[in-house]
Amino acid sequence: MSPVLRIAANELRLMARARVAQLAIALVVALSAVAALTAISQGRESQEIRSRFQAQADREFDGQPARHPHRMVHYGHFVFRPLPALAGFDPGVDAFTGSTLFLEGHRQNSANFGDVRQSSLLVRFGQLTPAFVIQALGPLVLIFLGFGAIARERDSGRLNLHFAQGVKAGQVVLGKAAALSVVAGLILAPALAALAWLTVFVGAVPAAALMLAAGYAAYLLVWVLATTSISALAPSSRTALATLVAAWALSAILAPRLATDIALLAAPQPTRLETDIAIQRDLKKIGDSHNPDDPYFAAFRASVLKAYGVTRIEDLPVNYRGLIAIEGERLTSALFERYAERQFADQRHQSGLALALGGISPTLALRSLSMAASGTDLEGHRRFLRQAEAYRYAIVQRLNRLQAERLTYSDDSKRNSDPGAGRRVRIDPGAWRQTPDFVYRPASTAESLAASTPGLLLLGAWIALASGLAWAASRRLERAGA
Amino acid sequence: MTGLGPELRIFLRQRLAGPTLALLALLSAISVGAGILEIRRQTETIARIQPLQAAEEAAVAAWVSRDGDAGNAAYYTFHATWDRPSALAFAALGQRDVAPYVLRVRALALESQIHEGENYNAELALPGRFDWAFVLTFLAPLILIVLMHDLVSGEREAGRLQALQAAGARLGLWAHRAGLRLGLVFLAVAAPFAVGAGMSGAKAAEVLALLTAAGLYLAFWTLVCLGVGALGRSSVANGAVLAATWVVLTLVLPALAHIVINSANPVRQGVELTLAQREAVHAGWDKPKDATLTAFFRVHPEWRNTPPVTSGFHWKWYYAFQHLGDLSVADPVLAYRRGLESRDAWTARTGLVLPAVGVQTTLHRMAGTDLAAQLAYQDRIRAFHERLRRFYYPYIFNETPFREGDFAKAPRWAEGG
Repeated sequence: MSPVLRIAANELRLMARARVAQLAIALVVALSAVAALTAISQGRESQEIRSRFQAQADREFDGQPARHPHRMVHYGHFVFRPLPALAGFDPGVDAFTGSTLFLEGHRQNSANFGDVRQSSLLVRFGQLTPAFVIQALGPLVLIFLGFGAIARERDSGRLNLHFAQGVKAGQVVLGKAAALSVVAGLILAPALAALAWLTVFVGAVPAAALMLAAGYAAYLLVWVLATTSISALAPSSRTALATLVAAWALSAILAPRLATDIALLAAPQPTRLETDIAIQRDLKKIGDSHNPDDPYFAAFRASVLKAYGVTRIEDLPVNYRGLIAIEGERLTSALFERYAERQFADQRHQSGLALALGGISPTLALRSLSMAASGTDLEGHRRFLRQAEAYRYAIVQRLNRLQAERLTYSDDSKRNSDPGAGRRVRIDPGAWRQTPDFVYRPASTAESLAASTPGLLLLGAWIALASGLAWAASRRLERAGA
Repeated sequence: MTGLGPELRIFLRQRLAGPTLALLALLSAISVGAGILEIRRQTETIARIQPLQAAEEAAVAAWVSRDGDAGNAAYYTFHATWDRPSALAFAALGQRDVAPYVLRVRALALESQIHEGENYNAELALPGRFDWAFVLTFLAPLILIVLMHDLVSGEREAGRLQALQAAGARLGLWAHRAGLRLGLVFLAVAAPFAVGAGMSGAKAAEVLALLTAAGLYLAFWTLVCLGVGALGRSSVANGAVLAATWVVLTLVLPALAHIVINSANPVRQGVELTLAQREAVHAGWDKPKDATLTAFFRVHPEWRNTPPVTSGFHWKWYYAFQHLGDLSVADPVLAYRRGLESRDAWTARTGLVLPAVGVQTTLHRMAGTDLAAQLAYQDRIRAFHERLRRFYYPYIFNETPFREGDFAKAPRWAEGG
């Protein structure tokens, strides 16, 4: 048996006999399993609720009675963001963004009823998911089981015994790291099982699941190498423990919050209220449809009359009110889009700042990879918001076109004074049923893999750094042993 | 009994003691600074929206007053509300980063307005803020563990334990040393907070109450450290056991409690009530006007004898079915709220068992940044909305023209209610 394997086997035998080690591993594996089970069942339940609500909203839209099309513009539609399959592994920002959006004409509403506003402050303690267990607790178990791996042997003098038998320092470090990797494998096992389950039974994309498995394995490997190295470098096992726990607290507990505060301080965002007002102002600058003498809408009228070759709007073959509605919606939607894209860019800038702190915290790097591959990062929510806005625009304009084409100008103008006209402006509800339903297109495999790449690269850098540390530790041990 | 002075000198001579305490004081100061900056930003936002809002209102007034249609005034005028942070909010920012603290409402049906969210970066909200409550709840116990895990075992490992006991050291010495460490940690955490509280003008009694909660929390962790230390294991083992205890008490059990509480108190009514309210409001367009108005007059009999609606459209009828839409979902609104309150109440109960949850609950309650504060803000919005409706009703129901001067008479959002 090679010395590396022998050392690894000995270390594992030692751990298997130690009650603390048994307990720690059992605890984290059990937690991981509980987290996976609850996350999967909650994910399924919440997806069921959302699709039930979506079906209800679709049914209610289709079942509306004969109405003026503009009534339907204000009746609007509800859309629900479906939960991606891998949310059962890492729900990411799902609880922090609303999952339902009310779509109506001339307005852009916020996504509402996110869990964060419906929960007590407990939600801020972190959610027990497979992702959280490995990100936060996995390293800690490795630290507890590994901080003494080499330091203990040096304290007891057994290290010199190895050297006397001709074992190289590098082989000792490698052997101990190999033993700790087995522990990492145990910690990872329930999460891998959850990923397999989600892939086979819930339809998760295999490539994304593999990306997650690779990312989490890389993350634990960083901690395996760091723990073994610090154990070799620290003057005593106590110092090793203190150093490692401090590094863990910095990476997993402190850095994420510091990153948030730094990003928000560096790039604050306007409130929704201010954005609403800004949009209203910009809209007024373009034109005011309430003002009969408004130059923009006067020019619009002139161009419409010219296009149809008539001189009075009453002579138009289409309902001019419908055309105004189409034009108004076009203007507001363009502004909505401009402001939304600006907000998305701001948020991307903020998240980029926070990820840059992944340079001091492998946890931040992993978190970014994990949410991106699971489809539960903010980009996933933005994707939903964008598609919902496109859908909103499509159905509103469709209704406006119905108003322009199926109603006459004269009826539409007299609808409140002439009961006959009031009846004629209500169009057949078949038109509501023909309106297509909202279908959410999730990120493609290539997109989610691309989004996970920055996190993966950062983790790669961390592995390189930790390997360098392990090499330095071997050199140091070698010199001390010689 | 030894004096405090020599003990302090012995303690500070330890290699890790000084830097550890300095680190804690630094983190505490940073968190207080960050909290104050954030609260200042929120206060500035509230100040900044006032002129924006006034200009917006003037623009509506300019075109509405041309024909004096009160229905248009009520429809197009948004009224600003805001939730000013308390003097202690800087210490525990709580839900203020995910719930709106400025919201505009109009005299239309309220249930489709009051649940509006805020624009925020969810990826940044996910880990939470670096506020003083976080430093106290999560970091201070870790520092205590660093300073206390070898209180007794360190002396034993250095071979001084027997000498100390021979010299007559009993419980008193350990209590003394533990008290000293607790006191120093408390000072490192609390001093920056006290300065921050002074700067934001918090009431002395509130500051004292909050400091008491913090002191009790740190005392709990001191006792845990002493208890683990009394089992007579090595310093390394103590350190490991204490760190594991910290993980279980501040990360694992609260997260488990969150899952249990949320699944025991489902709150689906939020979505249900908005779906139902929309149906009720829009069905108003298709119902006979008389039926709608009769139902409305049952709630507001004072408008019963105003001129009847004869035309195809009248604002009276429109605002009547807007309000009836809200009333139709009164039950689910109440159930939704009960669900939220029940989640909050169970969290408070959990706080009796889990000190980390307890201290967070206390801090956020005192800072007015918890779920209850969010609900209280919503209550004030509801009351304000009621005043708005009652302000516009006389113009609408008596068909009184709404002139430019009338805009200034509209109810204003009042601080504190």
